Amino acid sequence: MSDHLTTDRTDPTTAFDCPSCGTSSAGGPRDHCPQCLHTRHRDSADPCGAPMAPLAVAVHGPGDWRLIHRCTACATLTSAPVRADDHQVALMALAVRPLAQPPFPLGLLGRI
Amino acid sequence: MPRRHRARQEPRTGRRAQRPKDVLHGPRGHRGDAFRCLGCRRDVPVRALGTAHRNHCPYCLTSRHVDGRAPGDRGEECRAPMDALTLAVRDDGEWLLIHRCRACGTLKANRPAGDDHPLALIRLALRPLADPGLAHLTGVVPGT
Ligand SMILES: [Zn+2]
Ligand SMILES: [Zn+2]
Ligand SMILES: [Zn+2]
Ligand SMILES: [Zn+2]
Repeated sequence: MSDHLTTDRTDPTTAFDCPSCGTSSAGGPRDHCPQCLHTRHRDSADPCGAPMAPLAVAVHGPGDWRLIHRCTACATLTSAPVRADDHQVALMALAVRPLAQPPFPLGLLGRI
Repeated sequence: MPRRHRARQEPRTGRRAQRPKDVLHGPRGHRGDAFRCLGCRRDVPVRALGTAHRNHCPYCLTSRHVDGRAPGDRGEECRAPMDALTLAVRDDGEWLLIHRCRACGTLKANRPAGDDHPLALIRLALRPLADPGLAHLTGVVPGT
Protein backbone atom coordinates (compact mmCIF):
# COMPACT_ATOMS: atom_id res chain seq x y z
CA MET A 1 0.00 0.00 0.00
CA SER A 2 2.86 2.38 0.82
CA ASP A 3 4.24 2.27 -2.73
CA HIS A 4 0.81 3.38 -3.99
CA LEU A 5 0.83 6.26 -1.56
CA THR A 6 4.20 7.47 -2.74
CA THR A 7 3.48 7.02 -6.47
CA ASP A 8 3.57 10.37 -8.24
CA ARG A 9 0.43 10.33 -10.34
CA THR A 10 1.66 13.32 -12.37
CA ASP A 11 4.56 11.28 -13.77
CA PRO A 12 3.43 10.19 -17.26
CA THR A 13 5.85 7.23 -17.23
CA THR A 14 4.18 5.76 -14.14
CA ALA A 15 1.47 3.19 -14.80
CA PHE A 16 -1.75 3.33 -12.77
CA ASP A 17 -2.21 0.04 -10.94
CA CYS A 18 -5.91 -0.42 -10.17
CA PRO A 19 -6.67 -1.42 -6.56
CA SER A 20 -9.98 -2.96 -7.70
CA CYS A 21 -9.61 -4.84 -11.01
CA GLY A 22 -5.82 -5.06 -11.07
CA THR A 23 -5.41 -3.50 -14.52
CA SER A 24 -2.14 -1.64 -15.02
CA SER A 25 -2.75 1.39 -17.25
CA ALA A 26 -0.02 3.47 -18.88
CA GLY A 27 -0.51 6.83 -20.56
CA GLY A 28 -0.60 8.90 -17.37
CA PRO A 29 -1.13 11.20 -15.63
CA ARG A 30 -4.12 9.26 -14.38
CA ASP A 31 -6.36 9.74 -11.38
CA HIS A 32 -8.29 6.51 -11.75
CA CYS A 33 -8.52 3.19 -13.58
CA PRO A 34 -9.87 3.79 -17.12
CA GLN A 35 -11.52 0.34 -17.07
CA CYS A 36 -13.48 0.17 -13.80
CA LEU A 37 -13.05 3.82 -12.72
CA HIS A 38 -11.79 2.94 -9.22
CA THR A 39 -8.95 4.83 -7.60
CA ARG A 40 -7.04 4.93 -4.35
CA HIS A 41 -7.52 7.47 -1.54
CA ARG A 42 -4.45 9.70 -1.91
CA ASP A 43 -5.72 13.19 -2.68
CA SER A 44 -7.46 14.97 0.17
CA ALA A 45 -6.70 16.44 3.55
CA ASP A 46 -6.50 13.00 5.16
CA PRO A 47 -5.63 10.31 2.57
CA CYS A 48 -5.95 6.77 4.01
CA GLY A 49 -4.71 4.84 0.97
CA ALA A 50 -7.75 2.52 0.70
CA PRO A 51 -9.52 1.86 -2.63
CA MET A 52 -12.16 4.38 -3.70
CA ALA A 53 -15.23 3.33 -5.70
CA PRO A 54 -16.84 5.50 -8.40
CA LEU A 55 -20.02 7.01 -6.90
CA ALA A 56 -21.39 9.45 -9.46
CA VAL A 57 -20.71 11.67 -12.43
CA ALA A 58 -20.95 15.43 -11.86
CA VAL A 59 -20.85 18.50 -14.06
CA HIS A 60 -18.68 21.21 -12.47
CA GLY A 61 -19.21 23.58 -15.40
CA PRO A 62 -20.11 23.41 -19.10
CA GLY A 63 -18.18 20.53 -20.65
CA ASP A 64 -16.43 19.71 -17.36
CA TRP A 65 -17.37 16.15 -16.37
CA ARG A 66 -16.03 14.90 -13.07
CA LEU A 67 -15.99 11.48 -11.51
CA ILE A 68 -16.97 11.47 -7.83
CA HIS A 69 -15.23 8.79 -5.76
CA ARG A 70 -16.05 7.53 -2.28
CA CYS A 71 -13.41 5.90 -0.12
CA THR A 72 -14.35 2.33 0.79
CA ALA A 73 -12.66 2.73 4.20
CA CYS A 74 -13.23 6.30 5.43
CA ALA A 75 -16.13 7.45 3.16
CA THR A 76 -14.31 10.62 2.06
CA LEU A 77 -15.57 12.00 -1.28
CA THR A 78 -13.21 13.34 -3.96
CA SER A 79 -13.67 14.44 -7.56
CA ALA A 80 -11.41 14.22 -10.60
CA PRO A 81 -11.82 15.10 -14.29
CA VAL A 82 -12.85 12.24 -16.58
CA ARG A 83 -10.45 11.34 -19.37
CA ALA A 84 -11.07 10.68 -23.05
CA ASP A 85 -9.92 7.06 -22.65
CA ASP A 86 -12.08 6.30 -19.60
CA HIS A 87 -14.56 3.48 -20.21
CA GLN A 88 -17.44 5.37 -21.85
CA VAL A 89 -20.14 2.82 -21.06
CA ALA A 90 -19.08 2.70 -17.40
CA LEU A 91 -19.29 6.51 -17.23
CA MET A 92 -22.71 6.60 -18.89
CA ALA A 93 -23.97 3.83 -16.62
CA LEU A 94 -23.02 5.96 -13.61
CA ALA A 95 -24.59 9.07 -15.12
CA VAL A 96 -27.97 7.43 -15.81
CA ARG A 97 -28.20 5.49 -12.53
CA PRO A 98 -30.30 8.05 -10.61
CA LEU A 99 -32.84 8.19 -13.44
CA ALA A 100 -32.78 4.43 -13.96
CA GLN A 101 -33.40 3.88 -10.23
CA PRO A 102 -35.64 6.76 -9.07
CA PRO A 103 -36.70 6.51 -5.41
CA PHE A 104 -40.20 7.61 -6.37
CA PRO A 105 -42.29 6.79 -9.47
CA LEU A 106 -41.43 9.35 -12.15
CA GLY A 107 -45.03 9.19 -13.38
CA LEU A 108 -45.92 11.00 -10.17
CA LEU A 109 -44.32 14.13 -11.63
CA GLY A 110 -47.19 14.50 -14.09
CA ARG A 111 -49.45 15.34 -11.14
CA ILE A 112 -47.29 18.08 -9.62
CA MET B 1 -25.08 39.22 4.35
CA PRO B 2 -24.80 40.77 7.79
CA ARG B 3 -22.36 39.02 10.07
CA ARG B 4 -23.55 38.11 13.49
CA HIS B 5 -20.30 39.26 15.06
CA ARG B 6 -17.79 41.48 13.33
CA ALA B 7 -14.16 41.15 14.41
CA ARG B 8 -13.44 44.38 16.24
CA GLN B 9 -10.05 46.06 16.34
CA GLU B 10 -8.90 47.33 19.72
CA PRO B 11 -7.65 50.87 19.01
CA ARG B 12 -4.76 50.73 21.50
CA THR B 13 -3.26 47.31 21.09
CA GLY B 14 -4.33 46.65 17.52
CA ARG B 15 -5.31 43.20 18.72
CA ARG B 16 -8.54 41.59 17.71
CA ALA B 17 -11.24 41.64 20.35
CA GLN B 18 -12.09 38.22 21.72
CA ARG B 19 -15.16 36.66 20.19
CA PRO B 20 -18.16 36.72 22.48
CA LYS B 21 -18.83 33.34 24.05
CA ASP B 22 -22.55 33.34 23.35
CA VAL B 23 -22.17 32.64 19.62
CA LEU B 24 -25.06 30.55 18.39
CA HIS B 25 -23.99 27.56 16.37
CA GLY B 26 -27.13 27.41 14.29
CA PRO B 27 -27.17 28.82 10.75
CA ARG B 28 -27.06 32.59 10.44
CA GLY B 29 -30.56 33.99 10.32
CA HIS B 30 -31.75 31.06 12.41
CA ARG B 31 -34.98 31.99 14.10
CA GLY B 32 -35.65 28.76 15.91
CA ASP B 33 -38.17 27.22 13.54
CA ALA B 34 -36.89 28.38 10.11
CA PHE B 35 -33.73 29.43 8.27
CA ARG B 36 -33.13 31.68 5.29
CA CYS B 37 -31.76 29.62 2.37
CA LEU B 38 -28.36 30.84 1.11
CA GLY B 39 -29.27 29.77 -2.42
CA CYS B 40 -32.79 31.02 -3.12
CA ARG B 41 -33.35 33.22 0.00
CA ARG B 42 -36.58 31.44 0.85
CA ASP B 43 -37.53 30.81 4.46
CA VAL B 44 -37.24 27.09 5.13
CA PRO B 45 -38.84 25.40 8.14
CA VAL B 46 -36.27 23.44 10.16
CA ARG B 47 -38.55 20.46 10.62
CA ALA B 48 -38.53 18.24 7.55
CA LEU B 49 -40.68 15.33 6.51
CA GLY B 50 -38.92 12.01 7.02
CA THR B 51 -35.65 13.38 8.41
CA ALA B 52 -34.63 14.38 11.90
CA HIS B 53 -32.09 16.90 10.69
CA ARG B 54 -32.74 19.09 7.63
CA ASN B 55 -29.47 20.16 6.07
CA HIS B 56 -30.56 21.60 2.73
CA CYS B 57 -33.27 23.71 1.13
CA PRO B 58 -36.17 21.63 -0.26
CA TYR B 59 -36.66 24.09 -3.16
CA CYS B 60 -33.15 24.65 -4.58
CA LEU B 61 -31.31 21.94 -2.55
CA THR B 62 -28.58 24.38 -1.40
CA SER B 63 -26.89 23.47 1.87
CA ARG B 64 -24.27 25.04 4.12
CA HIS B 65 -20.79 23.86 5.13
CA VAL B 66 -21.29 23.54 8.89
CA ASP B 67 -20.70 19.85 9.62
CA GLY B 68 -17.28 18.24 10.04
CA ARG B 69 -16.80 14.51 9.58
CA ALA B 70 -20.05 13.39 11.19
CA PRO B 71 -23.49 14.54 9.95
CA GLY B 72 -24.95 17.10 12.34
CA ASP B 73 -21.74 17.58 14.36
CA ARG B 74 -21.52 21.30 13.41
CA GLY B 75 -17.74 20.97 13.65
CA GLU B 76 -16.84 22.98 10.53
CA GLU B 77 -15.77 26.63 10.53
CA CYS B 78 -16.18 27.22 6.75
CA ARG B 79 -19.94 28.00 6.75
CA ALA B 80 -20.04 28.83 3.02
CA PRO B 81 -22.98 27.73 0.83
CA MET B 82 -22.84 24.20 -0.58
CA ASP B 83 -24.40 23.73 -4.00
CA ALA B 84 -26.20 20.54 -4.96
CA LEU B 85 -23.73 19.03 -7.44
CA THR B 86 -25.16 15.70 -8.50
CA LEU B 87 -27.07 12.61 -7.41
CA ALA B 88 -25.75 9.14 -6.65
CA VAL B 89 -27.51 5.85 -5.95
CA ARG B 90 -26.67 3.89 -2.82
CA ASP B 91 -26.31 0.13 -2.86
CA ASP B 92 -29.79 -0.15 -1.30
CA GLY B 93 -31.27 1.94 -4.12
CA GLU B 94 -31.73 5.18 -2.18
CA TRP B 95 -30.67 8.43 -3.80
CA LEU B 96 -27.81 10.42 -2.32
CA LEU B 97 -27.50 14.15 -2.84
CA ILE B 98 -23.87 15.25 -3.37
CA HIS B 99 -23.11 18.80 -2.20
CA ARG B 100 -19.98 20.82 -3.03
CA CYS B 101 -18.82 23.77 -0.96
CA ARG B 102 -18.63 26.99 -2.96
CA ALA B 103 -15.65 28.22 -0.90
CA CYS B 104 -13.44 25.21 -0.14
CA GLY B 105 -14.66 22.55 -2.61
CA THR B 106 -15.43 19.95 0.08
CA LEU B 107 -17.88 17.28 -1.07
CA LYS B 108 -20.62 15.86 1.17
CA ALA B 109 -23.22 13.15 0.63
CA ASN B 110 -26.66 13.79 2.12
CA ARG B 111 -29.94 11.89 2.10
CA PRO B 112 -32.70 13.74 0.28
CA ALA B 113 -35.56 14.75 2.59
CA GLY B 114 -39.13 13.58 2.04
CA ASP B 115 -40.28 17.04 1.02
CA ASP B 116 -37.42 17.92 -1.35
CA HIS B 117 -38.90 19.29 -4.56
CA PRO B 118 -39.01 16.33 -7.03
CA LEU B 119 -38.42 18.61 -10.02
CA ALA B 120 -35.27 20.02 -8.42
CA LEU B 121 -34.00 16.46 -7.89
CA ILE B 122 -34.87 15.39 -11.45
CA ARG B 123 -33.19 18.50 -12.87
CA LEU B 124 -30.04 17.52 -10.98
CA ALA B 125 -30.26 13.93 -12.22
CA LEU B 126 -30.49 15.20 -15.82
CA ARG B 127 -27.49 17.53 -15.61
CA PRO B 128 -24.74 15.14 -16.74
CA LEU B 129 -26.93 13.90 -19.60
CA ALA B 130 -27.81 17.41 -20.77
CA ASP B 131 -24.17 18.56 -20.74
CA PRO B 132 -21.97 18.11 -23.83
CA GLY B 133 -18.94 17.19 -21.70
CA LEU B 134 -18.84 13.52 -22.58
CA ALA B 135 -19.49 14.20 -26.26
CA HIS B 136 -16.52 16.57 -26.34
CA LEU B 137 -14.30 13.99 -24.69
CA THR B 138 -15.25 11.24 -27.12
CA GLY B 139 -15.31 13.52 -30.16
CA VAL B 140 -18.92 12.55 -30.78
CA VAL B 141 -20.59 15.94 -30.83
CA PRO B 142 -24.31 15.88 -31.66
CA GLY B 143 -25.01 17.32 -35.08
CA THR B 144 -21.55 16.73 -36.52
ZN1 LIG C 1 -9.83 -1.01 -12.42
ZN1 LIG D 1 -10.03 6.97 2.83
ZN1 LIG E 1 -33.14 27.40 -1.50
ZN1 LIG F 1 -16.40 24.84 2.84
